[in-house]
Amino acid sequence: MTPMDLQDRAQYLSLALFSQKVVSALMEYVDENKSARLKPSLAEALDSLLHAKRPSVSSQRKVVAFTSYEHLRTLEEVWSATDRGKAIRMMRVVLRAPKNPKTKAVANELIQLFAQLQNQALWNFEQPKPMSPRVMQRLCHPA
Amino acid sequence: MPSGLADLLHDAAVLHRFVDFIEEYCKEQERSQTYVDASGLFFQYVEKLAAGIKQELGREIERAQRFPSRLPILRSNIWTLKNYLRLLHALIKPAADAHTLTIPAPLIELAAHQLQQVERMKNSCVVILLTSEFMYFQRPHTDIKDQARIVETFIPKASFPPKLGFIELPYSQGPSFFTNLAIYHEIGHFVYEELSNSDPPHRHIAALKSAIVRSLNKAFRKRSLDPETFAVAAKILGNWIQEIFCDLFAIRLVGPAFSFAFVEMLGMLGFLSEKATVIFNPTHPATACRFAEHVRMLQNDSWWNAIANIDAGQKKLLERLSNLPQSGYKFYWDESTPGPQSLVQVFLDVVVPAIRKLVRQVTPENVTAVRRFEKARGSIEDCLRVGVVPHPTSSSPLDPVSIINSAFCFYLTALPEVVKRFEGADAENDVAVHSLWTKRLEMWTMKAIEDSQIQDRFRGVRGTALWSSLEKKS
Repeated sequence: MTPMDLQDRAQYLSLALFSQKVVSALMEYVDENKSARLKPSLAEALDSLLHAKRPSVSSQRKVVAFTSYEHLRTLEEVWSATDRGKAIRMMRVVLRAPKNPKTKAVANELIQLFAQLQNQALWNFEQPKPMSPRVMQRLCHPA
Repeated sequence: MPSGLADLLHDAAVLHRFVDFIEEYCKEQERSQTYVDASGLFFQYVEKLAAGIKQELGREIERAQRFPSRLPILRSNIWTLKNYLRLLHALIKPAADAHTLTIPAPLIELAAHQLQQVERMKNSCVVILLTSEFMYFQRPHTDIKDQARIVETFIPKASFPPKLGFIELPYSQGPSFFTNLAIYHEIGHFVYEELSNSDPPHRHIAALKSAIVRSLNKAFRKRSLDPETFAVAAKILGNWIQEIFCDLFAIRLVGPAFSFAFVEMLGMLGFLSEKATVIFNPTHPATACRFAEHVRMLQNDSWWNAIANIDAGQKKLLERLSNLPQSGYKFYWDESTPGPQSLVQVFLDVVVPAIRKLVRQVTPENVTAVRRFEKARGSIEDCLRVGVVPHPTSSSPLDPVSIINSAFCFYLTALPEVVKRFEGADAENDVAVHSLWTKRLEMWTMKAIEDSQIQDRFRGVRGTALWSSLEKKS
């Protein structure tokens, strides 16, 4: 593994760890009724996901996930646009009403979504793919 | 036993064994070798992490028994942790190999000392890694740190040491001196990443990030980029920014010796072919562009005048490549695929001026370093000419930056003369003899720096209460 390979792969692992953090906080909430880590983890994930919708380089604050090509590509592979919208809505529901008994069912759905993201990130860490030709083409040939 | 628990138990046991070995390995290295302080901090982090992971594995099994439906997720969690350890694993052995007998310790100490004077870098430290790659490299510690911060939420007792960077030296270059000046460039990567991630963001880093956005809008103004394409373009600009920043950072700290070392290194790696020097690739700007920035910075800092009489091939190459027209720069993804040329143009027009400002802002002024070099160069060269370790002619210790630059200039221009003087005219074209005398020159340079560091420490202690009590006793 060359150092550059390692660097590219490390981005996928960062996404897997980020997803694990969200999943663990949600599992603690659903299974053990603990919510200490719920709000910070979900707020971070929500912020990152909203940021991923519009391309920019944040000069004022650090966005934790979905800013690198590796993160965005993995997200694209696992979640459709509908899934993203759904995840955003579900995160808002959990953040807004964590004490509502119905919210746990929503949190459970979120666990499945983020677990899928974690598994895909781990897979890409093991089997990184070359840059998508679509991206290269868009950069080289202005529309 | 619930279905799947046996598999989880197996995975957990494998990881337990893995971390157990790593923990013992780090402890053993600390017992048997001497390291720079930063390596010790890194080993201690790994030991705490290993101990914490072993406890966490027990908790995961307990969780799996209480909530069997979560088994697949818990298994993924173990897989993720194992992969984080794989990344650390790649650092541990090279860090263990870089004990004080295998690295140019005085140079590392000097660089670490200079690092403290860089804006926002006080109390930072660098772990040296000896690598099998024939390339100097700064490990992207941002990823490792971001990952460590997340892992800390699972393993709260293992905090990654703050302001810790990693720098790799090729193991074959460990004992040499001149080519190891490349570490200043690698330290630049560490500084850039620290500044980029600092909270609040550094004013000039924020300006640089705005310049990236302006550049991309200018380069691709006819269409809006989708997030993935934008991320790739921003990454490429980010890579180029860091390379130019690191080169200029190194020059600010160590002067033209860095440029000479850089030329030597590129030559060694075979990167100085005529065609290659004007090519930008996704990770690096063209060598000609980098050299143009070197020369510009050296001129603005008065170093260029101070080395005006150096008649060396390395300097001529710097000058020639720096004068190549920017219109000749090309961007290629790989050996044959052209990349977006507009990215190069906006980089030169919009981004590079912002990099220059940032470097000047974060590094100490070096006017006095140039003056000290001009004053000391003659006496340092006189020492080297007669085979003596350079030493001060007054009570003040020699400035290490003067020693480095004088010795490098001497190496580039006067080595044949020394060979002839000590080995006779027959040895003039003997490669082995030239190599031996280069090694000697490097050893004298390193010793002179070490002497200067010791004298400096002595001056710091003299006059203190401790000094007075020692004086009385003696």
